[in-house]
Amino acid sequence: MRIAGWTIVTVALAALLLPLLLPWNYDQIDWNHVRAAPFTHGHLLGTDSVGRDLLARTLIGTRITLTVAGAAALVALLIGTAWGAIAGWFGGRVDEAMMRVVDALYALPFMFVVILLMVAFGRSIVLVFLGIGAVEWLTMARVVRGQVMALRHRPYVLAAEAAGAPPRAIIVRHILPNVAGIALAYLVLTVPQVVMVESFLSFLGLGVQEPLTSLGILVHDGAEDMDVAPLALLVPGGVLVGLILALTALGERLRDRLAR
Amino acid sequence: MTLYAVERLRVRIGDRSLVEDVSFSVEAGRCTALVGASGSGKSMSCLTPFGLSRGIASGSARLGERELIGLPEVALRPLRARVGFVFQNPLSALTPHLTIGQQLVEAAMQAGGPRLDERALEQLLDQVGLHKPGVLRSYPHRLSGGERQRVLIAAAIAHGPELVIADEPTSALDADLRHAIMEVLARLRDQGMGLLLVSHDLPLVERYADRIVVLEAGHVAEAGEAGALLAHPASGAARALIAASPRLDDPKPVLPSTGGPLLEARDISVAFRATGWRGGQVAAVTGASLAIAKGEALAIVGASGSGKSTLARAIGRIGPCDGGTVSWRGESLPVRHGMRREHRAGMQAVFQDPVASLDPQWRMVDSVAEPLRYLMPELPSIDRTARALAALEAVELGAAFAERRPAELSGGQAQRVAIARALVAAPDLLILDEATSALDVLVAGRILDLLERLQRERRLAILLITHDIAVARRLCHRIAVMEAGRIVEEGPSLQVIATPQSAAAKALISASR
Repeated sequence: MRIAGWTIVTVALAALLLPLLLPWNYDQIDWNHVRAAPFTHGHLLGTDSVGRDLLARTLIGTRITLTVAGAAALVALLIGTAWGAIAGWFGGRVDEAMMRVVDALYALPFMFVVILLMVAFGRSIVLVFLGIGAVEWLTMARVVRGQVMALRHRPYVLAAEAAGAPPRAIIVRHILPNVAGIALAYLVLTVPQVVMVESFLSFLGLGVQEPLTSLGILVHDGAEDMDVAPLALLVPGGVLVGLILALTALGERLRDRLAR
Repeated sequence: MTLYAVERLRVRIGDRSLVEDVSFSVEAGRCTALVGASGSGKSMSCLTPFGLSRGIASGSARLGERELIGLPEVALRPLRARVGFVFQNPLSALTPHLTIGQQLVEAAMQAGGPRLDERALEQLLDQVGLHKPGVLRSYPHRLSGGERQRVLIAAAIAHGPELVIADEPTSALDADLRHAIMEVLARLRDQGMGLLLVSHDLPLVERYADRIVVLEAGHVAEAGEAGALLAHPASGAARALIAASPRLDDPKPVLPSTGGPLLEARDISVAFRATGWRGGQVAAVTGASLAIAKGEALAIVGASGSGKSTLARAIGRIGPCDGGTVSWRGESLPVRHGMRREHRAGMQAVFQDPVASLDPQWRMVDSVAEPLRYLMPELPSIDRTARALAALEAVELGAAFAERRPAELSGGQAQRVAIARALVAAPDLLILDEATSALDVLVAGRILDLLERLQRERRLAILLITHDIAVARRLCHRIAVMEAGRIVEEGPSLQVIATPQSAAAKALISASR
């Protein structure tokens, strides 16, 4: 857990701060050194096929990937918690209807839905994370619903009702604080999933648009030149794998600790 | 003939000593019982010599001629096969994907016994009094708790052991099942097996044990023949255990006098919707009526599943109620979601599971003060805290508990906090829903003492839900007996106990004798 935590913090800080120290901008073209080898001409990882510094692009790509993933996970958290809490609290037919909606959305090929959204509303980064968040909330909704259902029949909730607490007060004071831990754990678990989806969309050319970049685009571009410049694939790919593993490990540990 | 003899046994885990200098023995055809409060080391004393606990044993424990202490696991295994073990929780001790017949065959073979055929299996089930047709081919989830415990006893004796060790075999079961299970074990004893029984329930043990060993904090407090020990307990531990559980032949309780009418419930009925979109209804309570006067205590007793909790919650307006009316001081109460502050102020509830009754994230002082926040919103927060502290004081918990959270409390302490919370806004009626059943006997006894004192001092009316008619007798003026969702009998406590009319009342009373 500690290793996973530090990996995430290090990668995030590097993506945030290191670009300030580099002499190259992510979209700046070094006309004299197109496809430069690593460690030449001041390019630590070399340059890509149009002469942009690969290190600068990897850092910016990580930043974009993390931002999109974080924002999408937050959207998932908001929709999922609200949906799950309402279904779990009211129960009965409300719950049945709301959860059948979730089941139906689960059954949709969700990559297809995201692609449709992209096609219908154009390619913007806001839409990327709204679209991803809109499908990633399903698991969150199920988890929160289960938790709320379990909590609402706890004796302390009954005691609060007997003490005259209105439903709003019970939800705000007793239910949500006790759901927060598990929701947080699943939030951390949602982030690596979103990282994957975003990278995949970008790999297909549907995500972030040039000259802006993300880890998925870098892996895509790197894969084209992997026989001559393996680092262009291995570095962004390594960052991607490391991030996903670290986030998953952290999320699972949190979940096991908080799921009593 | 002595089957199993333990002498000067010590058990330690790490550098903590859990059992010191404990000696007892089990004879063939006799029952020795180890009794004590939880944490007194009774399970440890039983299981550690067989390598079944984390503890390290020293001293001596002889099974027949063989010394168990100091043997490696490989050598212990064949010796364990000469013993049958019955554990506490019958719900989780059976493998869900094997039929009862398969489990019994497997249990016998693993313990080194013969491969049992159908006839032998049926004989085995007959021995434990399980006469349900087709039970050998059913899966564990089709059986009730009592039936599963019978299967576990059958599994324990399938290989023909000479000694049976039963560790709290009835604690997870309802009162009315406890005696049935004990009868099964007593019959095995009569067939010549030695029985080593571990329990915290002294009244239960009294009927079946030949010798009793009372343990306290890892030491033997007292040991002797069962009848003599119970008649003249010499040690404080034995006296405390005897006094803790109320009995039907206790002296007549002195109850506070009662006043005018307080609450009247008429024709209460509750039905639960079966699962699914259009499943039918399951009636939980049908046409139940009852009345409570000021300062009066009324008990609703019944076996589990008889609807007593559902009825109490319907009356207290903290659970569903589909029909009937409740009037409070002559005024009709609205339904659950229409209850306003002034309606709620008069009655409060305490539930069975003490730890789940408290929000795990809240400090105790906040939990106790919670009713004041809603019932007396005009009270400044400093007065709220002061009243909460006073309520904690009233349940004999000091100010030191104010800052703690539920995980830092024992079950008894948590139940005291729940009682403090129920009393903080000075209600007229307290609903006690099995408030002592989840607690250890000694702790439950002290909670009953506390409730008795509060009842006397505050002239509280009480609606007590319990399956233990002796508890009802101690606190309540009147008893209502429920069976299958209906009140089948009602009357003054002593009269109902002396001359029960319904089968349900008779069963509950015989379970408490």
